Amino acid sequence: MLRPQRPILTVSMAPHVHCGRTIKGHMGETIIALMPAMVMAAMVFGMDAVRVMALSCAVAVTTEALCNRLAGRDPAVDDLHALLTGLLFACLLPASAPWWLVTVGSASSIGLGKAIFGGLGATPLCPPLVGWAVCRISWPKAMDTNTTMLGTTLPDPLQQLKFFGTDAVASLDPMALFTGHQLGGLGAVHIAALLAGGVFLLIRRHIAWEVPVAFIAGLLCTAWIYQLLDPAAHAAPLLHLLTGSAVFGAFFLATDPASSPIGRIPSLIYGLMAGVMVIIIRVYSIYPDGVPFAILLANLFTPLLDRIRPRPFGGPYTLTQEKEDQATCVKHCG
Amino acid sequence: MNRLWKEFSKGLWKDLPPFKIVLGLCPVLAVTKTAYNGLGMGLAVIFVLTLSNLLVSLLRKAIPAKVRIACFIVVAASLVVCVELLMQAYAYPLYLQLGIFVPLIVVNCIILGRAEAFASKNPTHLAVADGLGMGIGFALSLTFLGSVREMFGYGTWFGMELAGDWYEPFAFMIEAPGAFVCLGLVLAGMNALTNWQRRTRGLEAIEGPIHDCKTCGLCATKPRI
Repeated sequence: MLRPQRPILTVSMAPHVHCGRTIKGHMGETIIALMPAMVMAAMVFGMDAVRVMALSCAVAVTTEALCNRLAGRDPAVDDLHALLTGLLFACLLPASAPWWLVTVGSASSIGLGKAIFGGLGATPLCPPLVGWAVCRISWPKAMDTNTTMLGTTLPDPLQQLKFFGTDAVASLDPMALFTGHQLGGLGAVHIAALLAGGVFLLIRRHIAWEVPVAFIAGLLCTAWIYQLLDPAAHAAPLLHLLTGSAVFGAFFLATDPASSPIGRIPSLIYGLMAGVMVIIIRVYSIYPDGVPFAILLANLFTPLLDRIRPRPFGGPYTLTQEKEDQATCVKHCG
Repeated sequence: MNRLWKEFSKGLWKDLPPFKIVLGLCPVLAVTKTAYNGLGMGLAVIFVLTLSNLLVSLLRKAIPAKVRIACFIVVAASLVVCVELLMQAYAYPLYLQLGIFVPLIVVNCIILGRAEAFASKNPTHLAVADGLGMGIGFALSLTFLGSVREMFGYGTWFGMELAGDWYEPFAFMIEAPGAFVCLGLVLAGMNALTNWQRRTRGLEAIEGPIHDCKTCGLCATKPRI
Protein backbone atom coordinates (compact mmCIF):
# COMPACT_ATOMS: atom_id res chain seq x y z
CA MET A 1 0.00 0.00 0.00
CA LEU A 2 2.20 2.83 -1.22
CA ARG A 3 1.21 6.43 -0.86
CA PRO A 4 0.49 8.28 -4.09
CA GLN A 5 3.50 10.44 -4.95
CA ARG A 6 1.68 13.30 -6.60
CA PRO A 7 -1.96 13.64 -5.64
CA ILE A 8 -4.15 14.32 -8.64
CA LEU A 9 -6.52 16.69 -6.90
CA THR A 10 -5.93 18.36 -3.57
CA VAL A 11 -8.17 20.85 -1.88
CA SER A 12 -6.17 22.59 0.78
CA MET A 13 -5.29 25.82 2.48
CA ALA A 14 -2.85 28.25 0.86
CA PRO A 15 -0.06 28.18 -0.30
CA HIS A 16 -1.15 26.45 -3.48
CA VAL A 17 2.11 26.62 -5.40
CA HIS A 18 4.68 23.93 -4.65
CA CYS A 19 8.27 24.13 -5.85
CA GLY A 20 8.07 20.49 -6.87
CA ARG A 21 10.84 19.26 -4.59
CA THR A 22 10.02 16.05 -2.80
CA ILE A 23 11.82 13.95 -0.23
CA LYS A 24 12.00 11.20 -2.80
CA GLY A 25 13.59 13.56 -5.32
CA HIS A 26 16.15 14.77 -2.80
CA MET A 27 17.15 11.27 -1.73
CA GLY A 28 17.17 10.04 -5.32
CA GLU A 29 19.53 12.77 -6.46
CA THR A 30 21.82 12.13 -3.48
CA ILE A 31 21.99 8.49 -4.59
CA ILE A 32 22.80 9.67 -8.11
CA ALA A 33 25.58 11.81 -6.63
CA LEU A 34 26.96 8.69 -4.98
CA MET A 35 26.92 6.75 -8.28
CA PRO A 36 30.50 7.65 -9.38
CA ALA A 37 31.90 6.51 -6.05
CA MET A 38 29.87 3.28 -6.25
CA VAL A 39 31.15 2.55 -9.74
CA MET A 40 34.71 3.26 -8.63
CA ALA A 41 34.23 0.98 -5.60
CA ALA A 42 33.02 -1.83 -7.85
CA MET A 43 36.00 -1.31 -10.17
CA VAL A 44 38.69 -1.13 -7.47
CA PHE A 45 37.37 -3.63 -4.89
CA GLY A 46 35.43 -5.89 -7.27
CA MET A 47 32.37 -7.95 -6.43
CA ASP A 48 33.09 -7.75 -2.68
CA ALA A 49 32.13 -4.09 -2.68
CA VAL A 50 28.96 -4.77 -4.67
CA ARG A 51 28.05 -7.55 -2.23
CA VAL A 52 28.45 -5.25 0.82
CA MET A 53 26.49 -2.40 -0.78
CA ALA A 54 23.63 -4.63 -1.94
CA LEU A 55 23.30 -6.40 1.39
CA SER A 56 23.44 -3.16 3.35
CA CYS A 57 20.73 -1.53 1.22
CA ALA A 58 18.50 -4.60 1.40
CA VAL A 59 18.80 -4.83 5.18
CA ALA A 60 18.22 -1.09 5.64
CA VAL A 61 15.03 -1.13 3.56
CA THR A 62 13.73 -4.26 5.29
CA THR A 63 14.41 -2.78 8.74
CA GLU A 64 12.69 0.44 7.76
CA ALA A 65 9.59 -1.42 6.60
CA LEU A 66 9.60 -3.50 9.78
CA CYS A 67 9.98 -0.44 12.04
CA ASN A 68 7.19 1.38 10.23
CA ARG A 69 4.96 -1.63 10.74
CA LEU A 70 5.84 -1.87 14.45
CA ALA A 71 5.20 1.83 14.96
CA GLY A 72 1.88 1.59 13.13
CA ARG A 73 2.84 4.12 10.45
CA ASP A 74 2.42 4.23 6.71
CA PRO A 75 5.30 2.38 5.07
CA ALA A 76 7.85 5.03 4.09
CA VAL A 77 10.43 2.95 2.23
CA ASP A 78 9.44 4.57 -1.04
CA ASP A 79 10.94 7.91 0.02
CA LEU A 80 14.35 6.28 -0.59
CA HIS A 81 15.84 7.50 2.68
CA ALA A 82 16.37 3.95 3.95
CA LEU A 83 18.05 3.01 0.68
CA LEU A 84 20.34 6.05 0.92
CA THR A 85 21.18 5.29 4.56
CA GLY A 86 22.10 1.72 3.69
CA LEU A 87 24.27 2.94 0.85
CA LEU A 88 26.05 5.57 2.94
CA PHE A 89 26.67 2.98 5.67
CA ALA A 90 28.11 0.53 3.12
CA CYS A 91 30.42 3.24 1.80
CA LEU A 92 32.03 3.48 5.25
CA LEU A 93 32.72 -0.26 5.51
CA PRO A 94 35.76 -2.10 4.21
CA ALA A 95 34.97 -4.22 1.17
CA SER A 96 35.94 -7.30 3.18
CA ALA A 97 33.19 -6.78 5.79
CA PRO A 98 31.51 -10.09 6.70
CA TRP A 99 27.78 -10.44 6.09
CA TRP A 100 26.78 -10.44 9.79
CA LEU A 101 28.59 -7.18 10.40
CA VAL A 102 26.86 -5.53 7.45
CA THR A 103 23.49 -6.85 8.61
CA VAL A 104 23.81 -5.74 12.23
CA GLY A 105 25.31 -2.36 11.29
CA SER A 106 22.74 -1.56 8.64
CA ALA A 107 19.87 -2.64 10.89
CA SER A 108 21.15 -0.49 13.75
CA SER A 109 21.62 2.47 11.39
CA ILE A 110 17.89 2.42 10.70
CA GLY A 111 16.66 1.00 14.02
CA LEU A 112 18.83 2.84 16.53
CA GLY A 113 19.71 5.81 14.36
CA LYS A 114 16.39 6.65 12.78
CA ALA A 115 13.26 4.75 13.83
CA ILE A 116 13.73 5.12 17.60
CA PHE A 117 13.93 8.90 17.35
CA GLY A 118 10.75 9.15 15.35
CA GLY A 119 11.79 8.52 11.76
CA LEU A 120 12.72 10.84 8.94
CA GLY A 121 13.60 14.38 9.98
CA ALA A 122 13.78 13.62 13.70
CA THR A 123 17.25 12.09 13.83
CA PRO A 124 19.65 13.93 16.16
CA LEU A 125 22.60 11.94 14.75
CA CYS A 126 23.45 11.03 11.19
CA PRO A 127 21.93 7.49 10.94
CA PRO A 128 24.70 5.71 8.96
CA LEU A 129 27.26 6.93 11.50
CA VAL A 130 25.29 5.35 14.36
CA GLY A 131 25.55 1.98 12.62
CA TRP A 132 29.21 2.58 11.91
CA ALA A 133 29.94 3.44 15.56
CA VAL A 134 28.14 0.30 16.79
CA CYS A 135 30.22 -1.87 14.45
CA ARG A 136 33.48 -0.05 15.13
CA ILE A 137 33.10 -0.52 18.90
CA SER A 138 31.92 -4.12 18.64
CA TRP A 139 34.22 -5.61 16.04
CA PRO A 140 37.33 -3.42 15.66
CA LYS A 141 39.19 -6.25 13.90
CA ALA A 142 36.58 -6.86 11.23
CA MET A 143 36.34 -3.10 10.58
CA ASP A 144 40.11 -2.79 10.15
CA THR A 145 40.98 -2.74 6.44
CA ASN A 146 44.64 -3.40 7.09
CA THR A 147 44.15 -6.79 8.73
CA THR A 148 41.24 -8.04 6.64
CA MET A 149 42.49 -7.15 3.16
CA LEU A 150 45.98 -8.59 3.16
CA GLY A 151 45.78 -9.58 -0.50
CA THR A 152 45.85 -6.08 -1.96
CA THR A 153 48.77 -3.87 -2.85
CA LEU A 154 46.88 -0.68 -2.02
CA PRO A 155 48.25 1.38 0.88
CA ASP A 156 46.24 2.34 3.95
CA PRO A 157 47.66 5.82 4.63
CA LEU A 158 45.92 6.60 7.92
CA GLN A 159 46.92 3.30 9.53
CA GLN A 160 50.50 3.81 8.38
CA LEU A 161 50.46 7.36 9.71
CA LYS A 162 49.09 6.17 13.05
CA PHE A 163 51.51 3.31 13.59
CA PHE A 164 54.64 4.16 11.56
CA GLY A 165 54.74 7.98 11.57
CA THR A 166 55.06 10.50 8.79
CA ASP A 167 57.97 8.78 7.01
CA ALA A 168 55.72 5.90 6.01
CA VAL A 169 53.30 8.17 4.16
CA ALA A 170 55.87 10.60 2.69
CA SER A 171 56.29 8.53 -0.47
CA LEU A 172 52.56 8.38 -1.30
CA ASP A 173 51.57 10.16 -4.47
CA PRO A 174 48.72 12.67 -3.82
CA MET A 175 47.41 12.07 -7.36
CA ALA A 176 47.06 8.32 -6.71
CA LEU A 177 45.28 9.05 -3.43
CA PHE A 178 43.02 11.52 -5.22
CA THR A 179 41.88 8.90 -7.72
CA GLY A 180 41.14 6.43 -4.94
CA HIS A 181 44.18 4.14 -4.84
CA GLN A 182 44.05 3.52 -1.09
CA LEU A 183 42.33 1.31 1.46
CA GLY A 184 39.52 2.46 3.67
CA GLY A 185 35.75 2.62 3.49
CA LEU A 186 34.81 1.04 0.16
CA GLY A 187 33.06 4.14 -1.17
CA ALA A 188 34.67 6.76 1.02
CA VAL A 189 38.17 6.68 -0.47
CA HIS A 190 37.34 7.65 -4.07
CA ILE A 191 38.04 11.32 -3.53
CA ALA A 192 37.66 12.44 -7.15
CA ALA A 193 34.36 10.61 -7.65
CA LEU A 194 32.99 11.92 -4.37
CA LEU A 195 34.01 15.49 -5.25
CA ALA A 196 32.13 15.15 -8.53
CA GLY A 197 29.07 13.94 -6.62
CA GLY A 198 29.44 16.74 -4.09
CA VAL A 199 29.62 19.40 -6.79
CA PHE A 200 26.50 17.91 -8.37
CA LEU A 201 24.69 18.18 -5.03
CA LEU A 202 25.87 21.78 -4.60
CA ILE A 203 24.70 22.74 -8.09
CA ARG A 204 21.34 21.07 -7.54
CA ARG A 205 21.16 22.95 -4.22
CA HIS A 206 20.54 19.79 -2.20
CA ILE A 207 23.26 20.76 0.25
CA ALA A 208 24.35 24.22 1.37
CA TRP A 209 27.95 25.17 0.56
CA GLU A 210 28.66 26.26 4.16
CA VAL A 211 29.02 22.84 5.75
CA PRO A 212 31.50 21.21 3.32
CA VAL A 213 33.54 24.40 2.90
CA ALA A 214 33.80 24.99 6.65
CA PHE A 215 34.52 21.30 7.24
CA ILE A 216 37.40 21.20 4.77
CA ALA A 217 38.71 24.59 5.93
CA GLY A 218 38.68 23.48 9.56
CA LEU A 219 40.42 20.23 8.68
CA LEU A 220 43.15 21.91 6.58
CA CYS A 221 43.78 24.73 9.07
CA THR A 222 44.07 22.41 12.07
CA ALA A 223 46.36 20.03 10.20
CA TRP A 224 48.46 23.03 9.10
CA ILE A 225 48.75 24.29 12.70
CA TYR A 226 49.86 20.85 13.86
CA GLN A 227 52.41 20.70 11.09
CA LEU A 228 53.77 24.12 12.06
CA LEU A 229 54.12 22.91 15.65
CA ASP A 230 56.08 19.79 14.72
CA PRO A 231 56.66 18.99 11.01
CA ALA A 232 58.34 15.68 11.85
CA ALA A 233 55.44 14.22 13.80
CA HIS A 234 52.40 15.42 11.84
CA ALA A 235 51.41 14.82 8.24
CA ALA A 236 50.70 17.50 5.65
CA PRO A 237 47.21 19.04 5.52
CA LEU A 238 46.65 17.77 1.95
CA LEU A 239 47.32 14.20 3.04
CA HIS A 240 44.71 14.49 5.76
CA LEU A 241 42.18 15.74 3.24
CA LEU A 242 42.91 13.05 0.66
CA THR A 243 42.84 10.07 3.03
CA GLY A 244 40.14 8.29 4.96
CA SER A 245 36.58 9.48 4.63
CA ALA A 246 37.24 13.24 4.96
CA VAL A 247 35.69 14.29 1.63
CA PHE A 248 32.89 11.73 1.98
CA GLY A 249 32.09 13.11 5.43
CA ALA A 250 32.21 16.73 4.29
CA PHE A 251 29.77 16.30 1.39
CA PHE A 252 27.55 13.37 2.33
CA LEU A 253 27.53 12.78 6.09
CA ALA A 254 27.95 16.19 7.74
CA THR A 255 25.28 17.62 5.43
CA ASP A 256 22.59 15.19 6.59
CA PRO A 257 19.54 17.48 6.55
CA ALA A 258 18.01 16.45 9.88
CA SER A 259 21.14 16.45 12.02
CA SER A 260 22.90 19.58 10.75
CA PRO A 261 21.99 23.18 11.66
CA ILE A 262 19.92 25.40 9.40
CA GLY A 263 21.26 28.96 9.26
CA ARG A 264 24.43 30.18 7.58
CA ILE A 265 26.48 31.05 10.68
CA PRO A 266 25.44 27.90 12.58
CA SER A 267 26.35 25.78 9.54
CA LEU A 268 29.77 27.39 9.32
CA ILE A 269 30.46 26.81 13.03
CA TYR A 270 29.18 23.24 12.75
CA GLY A 271 31.40 22.43 9.77
CA LEU A 272 34.44 24.03 11.39
CA MET A 273 33.85 22.09 14.59
CA ALA A 274 33.64 18.79 12.76
CA GLY A 275 36.72 19.55 10.65
CA VAL A 276 38.82 20.52 13.66
CA MET A 277 37.69 17.43 15.58
CA VAL A 278 38.75 15.15 12.69
CA ILE A 279 42.39 16.18 13.06
CA ILE A 280 42.30 16.16 16.86
CA ILE A 281 40.93 12.59 16.84
CA ARG A 282 43.40 11.49 14.17
CA VAL A 283 46.33 12.91 16.16
CA TYR A 284 45.47 11.86 19.71
CA SER A 285 43.02 8.93 19.72
CA ILE A 286 43.40 5.22 18.98
CA TYR A 287 41.15 5.53 15.91
CA PRO A 288 43.12 6.11 12.69
CA ASP A 289 40.22 7.85 10.95
CA GLY A 290 38.40 10.41 13.08
CA VAL A 291 35.80 11.55 10.55
CA PRO A 292 32.73 9.57 11.72
CA PHE A 293 33.24 10.32 15.41
CA ALA A 294 33.98 13.99 14.65
CA ILE A 295 30.71 14.34 12.75
CA LEU A 296 28.78 12.51 15.48
CA LEU A 297 30.17 14.96 18.05
CA ALA A 298 29.32 17.96 15.88
CA ASN A 299 25.80 16.55 15.41
CA LEU A 300 25.30 16.76 19.15
CA PHE A 301 25.90 20.52 19.02
CA THR A 302 23.24 21.07 16.37
CA PRO A 303 20.35 21.92 18.75
CA LEU A 304 22.62 24.43 20.49
CA LEU A 305 23.79 25.99 17.21
CA ASP A 306 20.22 26.25 15.97
CA ARG A 307 19.61 28.78 18.74
CA ILE A 308 21.57 31.26 16.64
CA ARG A 309 18.69 32.60 14.59
CA PRO A 310 18.48 35.01 11.71
CA ARG A 311 17.06 38.45 12.38
CA PRO A 312 13.39 38.39 11.49
CA PHE A 313 11.93 40.71 8.89
CA GLY A 314 11.18 44.04 10.54
CA GLY A 315 13.79 43.39 13.27
CA PRO A 316 16.05 44.05 15.11
CA TYR A 317 14.72 41.71 17.71
CA THR A 318 17.14 40.08 20.13
CA LEU A 319 16.91 37.63 22.95
CA THR A 320 17.44 40.37 25.56
CA GLN A 321 14.52 42.20 24.07
CA GLU A 322 12.45 39.07 24.40
CA LYS A 323 13.19 39.07 28.13
CA GLU A 324 12.25 42.75 28.41
CA ASP A 325 9.01 42.05 26.60
CA GLN A 326 8.24 39.26 29.02
CA ALA A 327 9.01 41.59 31.95
CA THR A 328 6.69 44.31 30.65
CA CYS A 329 4.05 41.73 29.94
CA VAL A 330 4.29 40.48 33.51
CA LYS A 331 4.11 44.08 34.77
CA HIS A 332 1.02 44.81 32.72
CA CYS A 333 -0.80 41.57 33.13
CA GLY A 334 0.21 40.51 36.60
CA MET B 1 -2.05 -9.80 55.70
CA ASN B 2 -3.67 -8.60 52.51
CA ARG B 3 -2.06 -5.16 52.87
CA LEU B 4 1.30 -6.77 53.64
CA TRP B 5 1.17 -8.81 50.42
CA LYS B 6 0.11 -5.73 48.46
CA GLU B 7 3.08 -3.69 49.68
CA PHE B 8 5.45 -6.58 49.03
CA SER B 9 4.23 -7.47 45.56
CA LYS B 10 4.08 -3.97 44.14
CA GLY B 11 7.88 -3.87 43.91
CA LEU B 12 7.90 -7.02 41.81
CA TRP B 13 5.95 -5.71 38.85
CA LYS B 14 3.67 -2.69 39.34
CA ASP B 15 6.38 -0.34 40.67
CA LEU B 16 9.44 -2.29 39.51
CA PRO B 17 12.29 0.05 40.57
CA PRO B 18 14.52 0.47 37.52
CA PHE B 19 12.00 -0.21 34.76
CA LYS B 20 8.71 1.21 36.03
CA ILE B 21 9.58 4.05 38.39
CA VAL B 22 13.06 4.47 36.83
CA LEU B 23 15.05 4.96 40.02
CA GLY B 24 18.55 3.78 40.90
CA LEU B 25 19.87 3.96 37.36
CA CYS B 26 23.51 4.40 38.35
CA PRO B 27 24.10 0.72 39.26
CA VAL B 28 21.67 -0.40 36.55
CA LEU B 29 23.91 1.15 33.91
CA ALA B 30 27.27 0.59 35.53
CA VAL B 31 27.43 -2.91 36.99
CA THR B 32 25.25 -4.97 34.64
CA LYS B 33 28.08 -6.10 32.38
CA THR B 34 27.43 -9.69 33.48
CA ALA B 35 24.49 -11.43 35.12
CA TYR B 36 26.69 -12.37 38.10
CA ASN B 37 27.58 -8.74 38.82
CA GLY B 38 23.95 -7.71 38.48
CA LEU B 39 22.81 -10.39 40.93
CA GLY B 40 25.53 -9.50 43.44
CA MET B 41 24.65 -5.83 43.31
CA GLY B 42 20.95 -6.71 43.61
CA LEU B 43 21.56 -8.81 46.75
CA ALA B 44 23.51 -5.96 48.36
CA VAL B 45 20.62 -3.59 47.59
CA ILE B 46 18.04 -6.03 49.03
CA PHE B 47 20.01 -6.13 52.29
CA VAL B 48 20.46 -2.36 52.55
CA LEU B 49 16.95 -1.47 51.42
CA THR B 50 15.14 -3.86 53.77
CA LEU B 51 17.17 -2.89 56.84
CA SER B 52 17.11 0.84 56.02
CA ASN B 53 13.32 0.71 55.68
CA LEU B 54 13.12 -1.16 58.97
CA LEU B 55 15.32 1.32 60.84
CA VAL B 56 13.77 4.41 59.31
CA SER B 57 10.31 3.12 60.12
CA LEU B 58 11.31 2.37 63.71
CA LEU B 59 12.89 5.81 64.07
CA ARG B 60 10.18 7.71 62.22
CA LYS B 61 8.75 9.26 65.40
CA ALA B 62 12.21 10.25 66.67
CA ILE B 63 13.62 11.87 63.52
CA PRO B 64 12.95 15.64 63.32
CA ALA B 65 11.32 16.55 60.02
CA LYS B 66 13.84 19.24 59.14
CA VAL B 67 16.88 16.98 59.17
CA ARG B 68 15.19 13.79 57.97
CA ILE B 69 17.18 13.48 54.73
CA ALA B 70 20.48 13.60 56.60
CA CYS B 71 19.21 10.98 59.05
CA PHE B 72 18.12 8.66 56.23
CA ILE B 73 21.53 9.00 54.61
CA VAL B 74 23.28 8.17 57.90
CA VAL B 75 21.15 5.04 58.30
CA ALA B 76 21.80 3.95 54.71
CA ALA B 77 25.53 4.71 54.99
CA SER B 78 25.93 2.58 58.14
CA LEU B 79 24.22 -0.34 56.41
CA VAL B 80 26.30 0.07 53.26
CA VAL B 81 29.49 -0.08 55.31
CA CYS B 82 28.18 -3.36 56.77
CA VAL B 83 27.59 -4.73 53.28
CA GLU B 84 31.02 -3.58 52.14
CA LEU B 85 32.78 -5.30 55.03
CA LEU B 86 30.71 -8.48 54.58
CA MET B 87 31.54 -8.54 50.87
CA GLN B 88 35.22 -8.07 51.55
CA ALA B 89 35.08 -10.99 53.95
CA TYR B 90 32.96 -13.49 52.02
CA ALA B 91 32.76 -12.38 48.36
CA TYR B 92 36.01 -10.63 47.62
CA PRO B 93 36.09 -11.23 43.81
CA LEU B 94 32.61 -9.77 43.52
CA TYR B 95 33.68 -6.81 45.64
CA LEU B 96 36.58 -6.16 43.26
CA GLN B 97 34.20 -6.36 40.29
CA LEU B 98 31.66 -3.92 41.71
CA GLY B 99 34.30 -1.52 43.00
CA ILE B 100 33.12 2.00 43.74
CA PHE B 101 29.48 1.10 43.11
CA VAL B 102 29.10 -0.66 46.48
CA PRO B 103 29.77 2.55 48.51
CA LEU B 104 27.59 4.40 46.02
CA ILE B 105 24.54 2.43 47.17
CA VAL B 106 24.31 5.11 49.89
CA VAL B 107 23.20 7.71 47.39
CA ASN B 108 21.06 5.29 45.38
CA CYS B 109 17.71 6.97 44.80
CA ILE B 110 15.72 3.86 45.69
CA ILE B 111 17.04 3.76 49.27
CA LEU B 112 16.27 7.41 49.90
CA GLY B 113 13.08 7.30 47.86
CA ARG B 114 11.59 4.40 49.80
CA ALA B 115 12.68 5.90 53.13
CA GLU B 116 11.15 9.25 52.30
CA ALA B 117 8.03 8.15 50.45
CA PHE B 118 7.13 5.00 52.36
CA ALA B 119 9.09 3.97 55.44
CA SER B 120 8.86 7.34 57.19
CA LYS B 121 5.07 7.28 56.96
CA ASN B 122 4.20 3.63 57.57
CA PRO B 123 4.43 1.06 60.35
CA THR B 124 7.41 -1.25 60.56
CA HIS B 125 5.99 -4.48 59.13
CA LEU B 126 4.71 -2.70 56.00
CA ALA B 127 8.02 -0.88 55.55
CA VAL B 128 9.95 -4.15 55.68
CA ALA B 129 7.58 -5.77 53.18
CA ASP B 130 7.97 -2.77 50.89
CA GLY B 131 11.77 -2.78 51.16
CA LEU B 132 11.98 -6.52 50.56
CA GLY B 133 9.65 -6.37 47.54
CA MET B 134 11.43 -3.40 45.98
CA GLY B 135 14.82 -4.97 46.66
CA ILE B 136 13.87 -8.28 45.06
CA GLY B 137 12.38 -6.47 42.07
CA PHE B 138 15.58 -4.46 41.72
CA ALA B 139 17.78 -7.55 41.98
CA LEU B 140 15.71 -9.42 39.38
CA SER B 141 15.81 -6.45 37.00
CA LEU B 142 19.58 -6.12 37.37
CA THR B 143 20.06 -9.83 36.77
CA PHE B 144 17.81 -9.66 33.72
CA LEU B 145 19.66 -6.69 32.20
CA GLY B 146 23.01 -8.26 33.09
CA SER B 147 21.95 -11.52 31.42
CA VAL B 148 20.91 -9.77 28.22
CA ARG B 149 24.11 -7.77 28.04
CA GLU B 150 26.31 -10.74 28.93
CA MET B 151 24.62 -13.04 26.41
CA PHE B 152 25.13 -10.60 23.55
CA GLY B 153 28.43 -9.12 24.69
CA TYR B 154 30.30 -12.27 25.74
CA GLY B 155 28.10 -15.10 24.47
CA THR B 156 27.90 -16.53 28.00
CA TRP B 157 25.38 -16.61 30.88
CA PHE B 158 26.67 -16.63 34.47
CA GLY B 159 29.99 -17.64 32.92
CA MET B 160 28.55 -20.65 31.03
CA GLU B 161 29.33 -20.84 27.34
CA LEU B 162 26.09 -20.52 25.37
CA ALA B 163 27.34 -20.04 21.82
CA GLY B 164 29.96 -21.94 19.87
CA ASP B 165 33.21 -20.67 18.43
CA TRP B 166 31.40 -19.14 15.46
CA TYR B 167 29.89 -16.44 17.68
CA GLU B 168 31.55 -13.04 17.35
CA PRO B 169 30.90 -11.22 20.66
CA PHE B 170 28.77 -8.11 20.15
CA ALA B 171 31.08 -5.98 22.32
CA PHE B 172 28.90 -2.88 21.94
CA MET B 173 26.50 -4.33 24.54
CA ILE B 174 29.07 -4.49 27.34
CA GLU B 175 30.40 -0.98 26.71
CA ALA B 176 28.82 2.09 28.30
CA PRO B 177 26.72 3.11 25.25
CA GLY B 178 25.34 -0.43 25.10
CA ALA B 179 24.05 -0.04 28.67
CA PHE B 180 22.06 3.06 27.74
CA VAL B 181 20.72 1.54 24.53
CA CYS B 182 19.80 -1.70 26.29
CA LEU B 183 18.03 0.11 29.15
CA GLY B 184 16.16 2.30 26.67
CA LEU B 185 15.00 -0.71 24.67
CA VAL B 186 13.85 -2.51 27.84
CA LEU B 187 11.93 0.59 28.96
CA ALA B 188 10.30 0.84 25.54
CA GLY B 189 9.43 -2.83 25.72
CA MET B 190 7.88 -2.38 29.20
CA ASN B 191 5.76 0.52 27.96
CA ALA B 192 4.63 -1.45 24.93
CA LEU B 193 3.72 -4.40 27.17
CA THR B 194 1.78 -2.16 29.57
CA ASN B 195 -0.16 -0.61 26.72
CA TRP B 196 -0.87 -4.00 25.20
CA GLN B 197 -2.20 -5.23 28.57
CA ARG B 198 -4.38 -2.13 28.91
CA ARG B 199 -5.76 -2.59 25.43
CA THR B 200 -6.66 -6.21 26.06
CA ARG B 201 -8.55 -5.05 29.14
CA GLY B 202 -10.38 -2.47 27.07
CA LEU B 203 -8.57 0.53 28.55
CA GLU B 204 -7.00 3.36 26.61
CA ALA B 205 -3.27 3.16 25.89
CA ILE B 206 -1.00 5.60 27.75
CA GLU B 207 0.80 8.08 25.51
CA GLY B 208 3.69 10.02 26.94
CA PRO B 209 5.00 10.09 30.50
CA ILE B 210 2.74 10.14 33.53
CA HIS B 211 3.61 11.93 36.75
CA ASP B 212 2.20 10.69 39.99
CA CYS B 213 3.24 10.97 43.64
CA LYS B 214 4.37 7.37 44.10
CA THR B 215 8.04 8.10 44.48
CA CYS B 216 8.29 11.77 45.22
CA GLY B 217 7.32 13.27 48.54
CA LEU B 218 8.68 16.71 47.80
CA CYS B 219 5.34 18.40 47.22
CA ALA B 220 4.07 17.38 50.68
CA THR B 221 4.02 20.66 52.55
CA LYS B 222 3.86 19.08 55.99
CA PRO B 223 5.79 15.82 56.41
CA ARG B 224 4.06 13.47 58.80
CA ILE B 225 7.08 12.72 60.92
